Amino acid sequence: MTRWTLPAITFALFVVAAVAAPWLVGDGGIGLLFEIVLMLAMAQLWNLLAGYTGLVSMGLQCFVGLGGYVTIFASNTLRLPPYWVLPLAPLVCGLVAAASAIFLFRLRDAYFSISTWVFSEVVAMLVFIAPGFGHVSGMTLETARAIDYEVFLLANFWIATGFAAAVMVGIYLLLNSALGLSMLSVRDDEVAAASIGINVWRNRFIAYVAASAGCGLAGGISFMAALFVTVTTAFDLNWVVAMIFIVIIGGIGTLEGPIVGTIVYYGVRELFANLFALSGSWYLIALGSVAVLTMLFAPRGIWPFVRDRLGVEWLSIARKLPTIATEDDAKGSVSTSHGSLRA
Amino acid sequence: MVWIGTVINGVLLGGLYGLFGVGLALVFGVTRIVNIMHGEFIALSAFIALGISTVLPNAHPLLLVVPVMIASFALGYVLQALFVNRSMRLPDPLAPLLLTFGLSIVTRNLMIEAFGVNPRSIHQGDFAQLSIDVCGVQIGVLPLVTLALAVVLFVTLQLVLRRTKIGRIVRATADNSEVVRLMGVRPSSVYSIVMGFSFALAGVAGLMLALRTTFTPFSGVERLLISFEVVVMGGLGSFWGAMLGGIALGVAQLVGLRINPNSGFLYANLVFFVVVLLRPNGLFGARQ
Repeated sequence: MTRWTLPAITFALFVVAAVAAPWLVGDGGIGLLFEIVLMLAMAQLWNLLAGYTGLVSMGLQCFVGLGGYVTIFASNTLRLPPYWVLPLAPLVCGLVAAASAIFLFRLRDAYFSISTWVFSEVVAMLVFIAPGFGHVSGMTLETARAIDYEVFLLANFWIATGFAAAVMVGIYLLLNSALGLSMLSVRDDEVAAASIGINVWRNRFIAYVAASAGCGLAGGISFMAALFVTVTTAFDLNWVVAMIFIVIIGGIGTLEGPIVGTIVYYGVRELFANLFALSGSWYLIALGSVAVLTMLFAPRGIWPFVRDRLGVEWLSIARKLPTIATEDDAKGSVSTSHGSLRA
Repeated sequence: MVWIGTVINGVLLGGLYGLFGVGLALVFGVTRIVNIMHGEFIALSAFIALGISTVLPNAHPLLLVVPVMIASFALGYVLQALFVNRSMRLPDPLAPLLLTFGLSIVTRNLMIEAFGVNPRSIHQGDFAQLSIDVCGVQIGVLPLVTLALAVVLFVTLQLVLRRTKIGRIVRATADNSEVVRLMGVRPSSVYSIVMGFSFALAGVAGLMLALRTTFTPFSGVERLLISFEVVVMGGLGSFWGAMLGGIALGVAQLVGLRINPNSGFLYANLVFFVVVLLRPNGLFGARQ
C-alpha cells in the first residue's frame, strides 16, 4: 500500500457517491448535498490559509459575496447562461484578493484577521451603494427563466461536486509538492523558513489568492443556484464563521479535519432542526456546545484526537524520513512516529 | 455649526465605542485571547440592567452601573474559571478563540429563547432625551455622561494596574506567565479576575447602550466588529489607544453619515484602514 492508496480510494468513493446521489436522495436531498459539498470546499480553502500558511482570515465572505454578484451581474448583462460566466467569479475575486493582499499583508496576526473582516465590510458597502447592483433589493438571475429547473438543480449539483473534488485533490497535490512543503515551513516557523531561502510573502500570496478565487467560485455557484443575491446574504459573516467552525472542530491543518467538521456541522443541524424539529436557536445552542466541548476535551480538533488515539492514517501528507538501518531497526522497535514528519 | 455639532457628537459616540473595546483590549493584553464572547456580553448586560431596573423601578438609571458591574464581574470570573482557562493549555490561540465563539453562540441563542427578539428598552423617564445647549450646538446629556464615565473607568483601570498589588500581579502575568508561578501566583486565577474586569467594563458598555437605544439579543454581535476595530486601531492591549480609536471611529461614522446618509459604517471602516496602514501596530502598539 503506497501513500497514494488511501487518498485514491477516498476519491473513488467520493465520485461513486456523487454519481449515485441523485438516484438515492430526492430533490430536497440534492439541495442539501449541494450546500454541504460547497461548504466542504470553502472549509478546505480556509484551512489552506489558516492551517497551512498561518493566515487566519475572517474576511473570506468578501469573496463569496463578490463571486455571487459577479456571476449574476455578468449573466444578466451579457445575456449568457450563468454557467458560462462562472469563470469570471474566481477571476475577479483573485484579482481583488491580489490587489488587497498588497496592503493587508503588511498586517500581522490579529491585525490581519480583523482587517480582512473590515475589508469585507467595505466591499459589501461599496457594492451596496454602487449603482447597478440593485441596492437593498439585490439582483435576480434574469437568464434563469430560459432554464429548465430540474436540469438546473442537477447541473448545479454536478458543478458543486466537481468543484469540491477539484479543491480537495488540488490541495492534496499542492501539499505533496515542493511548494506545499515550503508553505508548511512558513506556517511552522516563518523566520527559519525565510533563513533557508523560502519566499514567505510569495507563499502566502499564492495561498491567499487561490483561497479567495476558490471562495469566489463557491459564491458564484451558490448564488447562481439561489437565483438571487443581496448584500446581506452574500457578504454574511456567517460564511466565514461556518468555515472556521468546521475547520477547528474537525482539526485545523489536516485534510481530514474539514471533512469530519462538515459532517458534524450538518449532522447537528439536521438532527436538531429536522429530526427533533426544534427551533433554529436550539440547533445553534447545540452547535455552540459542540464547539465548547470539543475545545475543552480535544483542543486540536476531532480528527487529530481520533487519529492519535487509534493510530490511523487517512489523507496524511506526512513525509516519511528515509529509514536508516540500525540495530534498533532490526529489533523492530523504532516507532514510526519518530520516523515521519507530522503535518 | 452643523459640522461642529457632528464632530462633537462623534466624539461622544466614540466614548461608547471606547467602552466597547476596552474590555477586549484588557483581556487580549493579559491573556492573548481574542474574545468573541465580548459582543454577547454587552447585550447580556443590557438585559441584566433591564432585569435590575424592573426590580428597582425608582432608582436613577445611572445607579444601575454598580449592580450591573458586580453581576458582570461575577459572570466573567466564572466563565473564565470554568471554561476558558481549560482551553488555554495549548499554545495555539485558536482553541480559546473557538471556545469563546461557541460560548457566544450559546449565550446569544439562550437570550433569544429567554427574552425573544423584539427590541427592548429600559424605562428611565426623560433622562435619555435631556440635552444642553452650548453655543447653539445641542449636546445630549447621556452621551456626555457616557464619555465621562468612560474616562473615569479608563483612569481607574490605569490606576489599578499601575498602583495596586493586584495590578502589579496582572502586569507581571501578562509579561511572563511562567515566571510569576515561581512567585506563588497562579496565572489561571489572574486570568479569571482579568476576565471579570473585562466583563464588568462590557457591562457598563451594555448599560450605556441600553439607556441610549433599544436592544435585542443581536445588539452585541452587531457591535463586535466596532469593538475589534477600536482595539486594533489603538494597538492591541492599549487602553488609551482604544479610547482614541473609539473617538476616531465615532467621528468618522457621524461625519460619513452626513456626507452620504446611506454609507453606514463605510467611512469609519476607511478611517480604520488608513490608521492601520500608517501604523501597522496601532496608535499605541509600539511596545511589542
